[in-house]
Amino acid sequence: MKWFPSFGSQRRSRELQDEIDAHLQMAIADRVARGETEETARQAAMREFGNIPLVQDVTGDMWGRAWLEQLGRDVRYAFRQLRKSPGFAITATAMLAVAICANSTVFSWIDGTMLRPIPGARDAGDLVSLQRGERNFSPVPPLSYLDYRDLREQNHTLTGMLAYHHDWITLTGGAQPERVFIANVSANYFNVLGIKPMKGRFFLPEEETGPAIPNVVLSYSLWKTRYAGDPAIVGKSIEVSRHPLTVIGVAPEGVVGAMPGLRDDLWVTLDPLGNDAWRMTHRDGGAVWLNVIGRLRPGVSRGQATQDLDTVMRNIVAAYPNQHLGDNRITLDPMWRSPFGANGYMAATLPILLAFAAVVLLLTCANVATLTLVRFVSRRRELAIRQSLGANRIQLVRQMVLEGVVLSIVAGAVALALTTWTSKTFAWFFRASSSPGTLNGSMDLNVVIGIALFSLLAGMLCGALPAWRSAHAPAVEVLKAESASISGGSRNRKLLSGLVVAQIALSLPLLLCSGLLLRTLRNLAGANPGFEQDHILTATVGLNIAGYSNNEVQLIRHKILDRVSALPGVKVASFTDWIPMTLGHKAEDAYPEGYVPHPHESLQVYHAEVAARYFESLHIPILEGREFTPDDDEKAPRVLILDQTAARRYWPGQDPLGKTLRIWGRLFTVVGVARNSTHMFVNESPQPMVYMSFFQEGYENIVQVETEGNPVDMAPAVENALHQIDARLPVFDVRPMRESTQLASSFAVMESTLAGMFALIGLVLAVTGIYGVVAYRTQLRTHEIGLRVALGASRRDVLRLVLLQGVWLTGVGLALGLAFALGLTRVIARLLYGIGANDPVTMVCVVTVLGAMSLVACYFPARRAMLRNPVTAIREL
Amino acid sequence: MNEKDHYKNRIELLQGTLDMLILQTLQWGPQHGYGIVQALRLRSGDVLQVETGSLYPALHRLERQGWVQSEWKQSESKQKARYYRITAKGKKQLASDLGRWERIVEAIGSVMYVKPEESAS
Repeated sequence: MKWFPSFGSQRRSRELQDEIDAHLQMAIADRVARGETEETARQAAMREFGNIPLVQDVTGDMWGRAWLEQLGRDVRYAFRQLRKSPGFAITATAMLAVAICANSTVFSWIDGTMLRPIPGARDAGDLVSLQRGERNFSPVPPLSYLDYRDLREQNHTLTGMLAYHHDWITLTGGAQPERVFIANVSANYFNVLGIKPMKGRFFLPEEETGPAIPNVVLSYSLWKTRYAGDPAIVGKSIEVSRHPLTVIGVAPEGVVGAMPGLRDDLWVTLDPLGNDAWRMTHRDGGAVWLNVIGRLRPGVSRGQATQDLDTVMRNIVAAYPNQHLGDNRITLDPMWRSPFGANGYMAATLPILLAFAAVVLLLTCANVATLTLVRFVSRRRELAIRQSLGANRIQLVRQMVLEGVVLSIVAGAVALALTTWTSKTFAWFFRASSSPGTLNGSMDLNVVIGIALFSLLAGMLCGALPAWRSAHAPAVEVLKAESASISGGSRNRKLLSGLVVAQIALSLPLLLCSGLLLRTLRNLAGANPGFEQDHILTATVGLNIAGYSNNEVQLIRHKILDRVSALPGVKVASFTDWIPMTLGHKAEDAYPEGYVPHPHESLQVYHAEVAARYFESLHIPILEGREFTPDDDEKAPRVLILDQTAARRYWPGQDPLGKTLRIWGRLFTVVGVARNSTHMFVNESPQPMVYMSFFQEGYENIVQVETEGNPVDMAPAVENALHQIDARLPVFDVRPMRESTQLASSFAVMESTLAGMFALIGLVLAVTGIYGVVAYRTQLRTHEIGLRVALGASRRDVLRLVLLQGVWLTGVGLALGLAFALGLTRVIARLLYGIGANDPVTMVCVVTVLGAMSLVACYFPARRAMLRNPVTAIREL
Repeated sequence: MNEKDHYKNRIELLQGTLDMLILQTLQWGPQHGYGIVQALRLRSGDVLQVETGSLYPALHRLERQGWVQSEWKQSESKQKARYYRITAKGKKQLASDLGRWERIVEAIGSVMYVKPEESAS
């Protein structure tokens, strides 16, 4: 078996052989010439020459034998050793593979999301995401076009600054309208991202502000799927929302836009049809609609850029104070934790999961090191013989480390194969929703490098400890002592004990965290969100994007309500433009009439637009005043319903009915107060919410139906009813409310699933670890125990002797583990709901489970020792 | 201590000297390994018996250091053998080895033949 053929050294050793042959021939010839017979001459010459292989070996060393060749020999030796104990090799490889795979899987998720926030973008590390006002976990778009333009033109720290607005729209023109995701973008959008068109061109600066030109850029996947990769697509016209747009370019494969985790299918300029002049020329209210990403100048830090942009923003605020009420501070985030899109959630979850996985890897290394050490003790004789035959310590240490490395490389290869699959399981945690999620792990070079590093680390850890031991074992002592070996030497005992303690100490925090997260998940599932979600069906109707006039839209909305309400099995039908607990919300500044806000005071509230009977269908009680009625339409005075939090915020201790709030510069009269309900997450701190009347301010059209039976059964009937009104009506996302709201617990599910899996691995490893060590040590003490029994020790004494050992190790491990766990649970405190990070019940449960399992693991070897016949035990050596 | 270490130590012990002797032998013309052994034995009056276990490692080391060059040639007895030739660099090395050797011999000599009264003063 040639692992590392090294031609130079092969040639040299062949030549040396020839040279030695020549030497011998000449020596023989000389002797023959002096009268010796051929045979005696040959023998004498050989004798005189000495040990030929040794000469070859030493001479080869002069050339500094190719280290690769030496490595190859060691690797081959390591493989031979591992093949000799397949049980150990397979167990260790499997454990390491699982542990490495746990790490690489989480890492592939980080790599696919946080490390590649904008696929296709150049140097994404230089990109920063801009937020205005109070820092928020899920902010709304921060800037109006004019503010954006001023910031872009007046800053000194960015090489470019792009703006976009993500939305959805329908592709008409085909048989059925198709929903696509679209972004209105600044003309420099692709330029700032550093993306070149695959076909055609991207937008020109004059297209941003000049007369509207209805141009569109397609994503690669849309071009491929909807337009069959038409090579002549550039210049053709496509129909979007019944408006013709001209395709000017196609983005390269994989480019999905600048909002991390969400997909755009098309890009148009900010006002492609020229019908949105209002939004382009105002600085407040509905004109604040753009998300902004900047690219830092080389050498400029994020802090400097923040300061620079903040200064510019202050000037803008000073120039237009009335359009900038509230908090206007600018903050910048790197894209990996950009709060726009998915990365804010990712950054809060994935690093913690990676930390869990790292603990699993450490735990596994401790376990494999235990196995290696036990195996090493049984190989002491072999190593001692090798040492006395001339292997030096360095060689032996290298050999031991190499065995660990070989194991972990094989394990790494297995993990690599597994990860190609597990990296894609990330998407499982996100249910189908109305967002075009593109979240998934990615399997690229980063992950391969990561796996290599994880494996190398694991290999060093698994091999280094036994190697350190082997370097300290004096050969002669070992050879002498072997026959009288009692319990593997006190040094080994200490190291083995240390490893067992480490395993218990590492698995305890894993178990504790998973216990806390699982209970969090149960609490989340059991929590009352404050609204009915079991008999509700929602369906999104693409009305305003389908190209209807405003009057038509209102007419169709009423028709929808009439038709759907009349369906058998439907209790109540209503409209809303927002579904709670779906990772999204809308927010706006709201001021009580006559209230003068302090400068930079933020009075942001969540808002939703809901139609009559919305509260009735969701079973949200109206505590004061009334619900909306069909009369609260465009012609009627603007009205509001507050939730309790909003009522308390604006009019604490007063009756809010009849009071007014100014939103978008318009006055709304409060007509009711609804009970608080969950908006985003069950574990959120309550945010004030104002409900406006759907027929006054509603934009998106979501039909909300309370059903008598299972809402899924009603889906076809509802869809049918909608299509009867107009067959071309785009209808999407017809699903039960419960399915939508599960989106809010996606991360809790992910966290508890992974933590649970990791904890299970940890438990198994810790228990097998302590079992293995106690069993091994008891076996080594068979003779001693036999003697004790023969001398009068009772079986109970034997049991106590062995168990005590295990109890001692477990106790120390648990104590250390608790200390470690208290540190780690603090990290996950933010992820918990309805349970404290130091919850005593969970802690006691986990300690009991781990302690009991460890004791059971110790009991078996103890029992075996106890039942042993002392006579055979003494004889056995 | 194993056999290999034993050889290595012998080389170390003789290193400077053996190198010098080999280079000196090659001064008289290219020679193969066997020839060098014979030449050293003859010139030293059978006193210096260079072991092959020292000679070949030394030759290969000298070649790596660029002090000798080797090529395969036919010997007078039609035997194909590897001939070593001293290089210019090797000649320089020989000169410096020789200088050092002479100083050592002189130094050892002055220690060994020192007059008793001188050492007493």
